[in-house]
Amino acid sequence: MELFTPEFGLVFWMFIAFLGLFFILAKFAWPFIIKSMDERADLIDKGVAYAQEAKTKLDTAKAEADKLIAEARGQQADILRDAAKMRNQIIEDAHAEAAVEAKKVAEAAQLSIEQAQKESAKQLKQEAGEIALQIAEKVLRTNINNDAAQQELVQRYLSEVETKN
Amino acid sequence: MKKVIAALIALVVIALMAWGYADAAKHSEGGDPKMPEVKEIIFEHLGDSYGWEVPFSHTKRIPLPIIVLGNDGSWHLFSSARITGGETFEGFKIARGGDHNNKIVETVNGQEVRPKLDFSFTKNACGIFISAIVVCLIVFGLKRHYKRKGLKAPRGGMGLVELIVDFVYGDTIKPIMGAEAPKYGPYLLTVFFFILTMNLMGLIVIFPGGANLTGNIAVTLVLALCTFLITNFTGTKHYWKEILWPDVPVALKCPVPLMPIIELLGIFTKPIALMIRLFANMMSGHMVVLVFMLLIFIFSALFNVAAGGGTTVLSLALSLFMLLLDTLVSFIQAYVFTILSTMFISMAHVHEE
Repeated sequence: MELFTPEFGLVFWMFIAFLGLFFILAKFAWPFIIKSMDERADLIDKGVAYAQEAKTKLDTAKAEADKLIAEARGQQADILRDAAKMRNQIIEDAHAEAAVEAKKVAEAAQLSIEQAQKESAKQLKQEAGEIALQIAEKVLRTNINNDAAQQELVQRYLSEVETKN
Repeated sequence: MKKVIAALIALVVIALMAWGYADAAKHSEGGDPKMPEVKEIIFEHLGDSYGWEVPFSHTKRIPLPIIVLGNDGSWHLFSSARITGGETFEGFKIARGGDHNNKIVETVNGQEVRPKLDFSFTKNACGIFISAIVVCLIVFGLKRHYKRKGLKAPRGGMGLVELIVDFVYGDTIKPIMGAEAPKYGPYLLTVFFFILTMNLMGLIVIFPGGANLTGNIAVTLVLALCTFLITNFTGTKHYWKEILWPDVPVALKCPVPLMPIIELLGIFTKPIALMIRLFANMMSGHMVVLVFMLLIFIFSALFNVAAGGGTTVLSLALSLFMLLLDTLVSFIQAYVFTILSTMFISMAHVHEE
């Protein structure tokens, strides 16, 4: 039973040692260690949370970017389609306009040609009239003199008229 | 190469340990193989002593101060070296055999009686202080690490210490205690590290180890008493209500207060269980190793020296196994004491739901 009987002296020393150790550690060491470990645990937790948050943020940003790119692609296609349409339109319009313009020019040319023809015919008529008048005048004048001479005169004026024209 | 060196060191340490035990066992044997006084040897080694054994010597002791209040009412302070050889100094000597075996006694009227008070700074007392210093060094080492390196995780030995602190505080005390963990954490961590260090120091056979500290009931008594005091002095009203007027049918508490009596007993049985558990576990570990070592000498006495020599191999293997097991038990028992203290304290802090 000797082993089961606590020795008073040893109880006393153990009490002093344990209380001393407890007060020293509780005052100077444990609170600091506990605080540091808690802080580190916090830091790690926060780090993990932050990383997760960053990941979700990145994911949403990526999704948004993809969406934007897809939208842009669609817009680009639309724009290209519109441009092609417009180009065709412009070409068609130009063709049509050109055709109209050409027709107008041709008509105008036709008109001026006709005008010129009319004028020249009129002038010819006038000149022919004048020449006939001159011839008639000269015939009238020489007729008085002789027939032969008259004939020759008429011939001469006629040739004159021919060379003139 | 490192592994080889480590293995060699381990081998030498183990050999020293085994040699120490074997040498201790040989102590009372003398020249010829004769039956060792098994009980004597075991109890001497499990118990306390007034000087600290020196390796490889049967008589030399590291002297420690003896402080006694004699039966005549006067205090005496002298070195244990004056009496460990069996001498009598100022009327005091160490009893051999009898009721006060290996204790300091005074001869009064021809009878050996214990002095009134014995505050001798014995081997165990000295071992307790050495362990306390070791705990201080370890814990302040960890603190210094945090101060210097901030929140960077420590490496090497301090990493192990931090792992243990985190396991005990972060994974055990915190989940049980919750918001009160920072308040009681220092006490519980001190208890854990102190017990663990004392357990492990007890397994080292030579100075500054070798004292069977936690296998001494005085040591576990103080530890359990502290937990008992904290539990009951910080207990809430609800805790006392649960003890004095528990939620059971009225017939069980009135007129015969059966349940309150059981609950009141529970207040005391819990810390006593704490005390006995740690004490018995550590003491039995030491005892088994001693018995294995003594087998060598029992066999050589029963048969012949060759038989004893043959037993040595087996004894060493078994002792080695036991020492390794005790190392594991050292951790487990320190942890068990801590977690149970945590539970008891937190159970005394319940509030009515």
